[in-house]
Amino acid sequence: MDSVITESKEVTLLEILDRILDKGVVISGDLVISLAEIDLIYVGLKVLISSVETMERLRGAPFAGATEEPT
Amino acid sequence: MKIYTYAIIDSNSKISDTINGLEGIGVYNIPYRDMGIVVSSHSEQIQNITKDHILKYEEIVERLMEDFTVLPMRFLTLFNREEDVLLMMQEHYNGFKGNLDRLRNKVEFGIKVIWQGETIKNRIIESSKKCYANLVIPDNSPGKSFVKEKFEKYKIDKEFEEEADRCITIIDYFFSRFIAEKKLEKLKSDNLLLSASYLIEKEKQKDFIEVFEKIRAAPGDLKFLLSGPWPPYNFIVFTKNANMFNRKPVSQDRAGENAI
Repeated sequence: MDSVITESKEVTLLEILDRILDKGVVISGDLVISLAEIDLIYVGLKVLISSVETMERLRGAPFAGATEEPT
Repeated sequence: MKIYTYAIIDSNSKISDTINGLEGIGVYNIPYRDMGIVVSSHSEQIQNITKDHILKYEEIVERLMEDFTVLPMRFLTLFNREEDVLLMMQEHYNGFKGNLDRLRNKVEFGIKVIWQGETIKNRIIESSKKCYANLVIPDNSPGKSFVKEKFEKYKIDKEFEEEADRCITIIDYFFSRFIAEKKLEKLKSDNLLLSASYLIEKEKQKDFIEVFEKIRAAPGDLKFLLSGPWPPYNFIVFTKNANMFNRKPVSQDRAGENAI
């Protein structure tokens, strides 16, 4: 991750998640997250990103099982 | 077999370097016409996805970006068979080709601009209160009070958004001269004034970063965050017709939940 310029590792991980989970070539469109709240960046991100499963629990949706048509 | 995908690349050649993918399993390129899709082949689905997997995936896509134009696949997109991968490539070759051509030699940068949204909103509220201080409602019925309250809120929100628009226009002006494409999102929260993705030609990266540093160093209450260069996640475009992704999964087992 040397090429990524950010203020902190937490923000880097946020930026990665924001991209890889619902951007790029999207096969199925169920996984849309919004982690752009400032409070998440500065307060809760370390906890939030302890694992993907934790993130999904907080989001209140299953990680797998996408069924919707893509966006 | 579970085939995890990383990115579509503009090469049908074998990857010369050894690159370890998820779970340390080596990645390889499945060629299709003049392009390919980089994958790793696993005997079973990965359990317990952690942030290490996320970082590894991104590391691989960035590594590929050094040598190729890449269309990153969404994280954890997997197929049950190579035949399915090739079928997907066949069905969407034109879409992939168009994106690869458009995104060649370009990278994405992310910029977030944070302002003191609550302070600004409070200032607008105070100003609004002064404005309406002398306003007397002759018939101070609950209905009229409700309408007045809603109208005041509308005015405050409108003014808040107009102030945001003014700031974003100025900020965006400085970056726009370097960019090929952009995506701007305003006020995802009161404090997140702007979340922007800019697509930039590789040779203009240095200029873009220099301008960013100047803007960040300028006096003011705005806080700027820059990230990049990224693979062009935000700029991959498929039309509805070019998007195959409403096909039913081949398998309905757990792996098949995300598999095609």
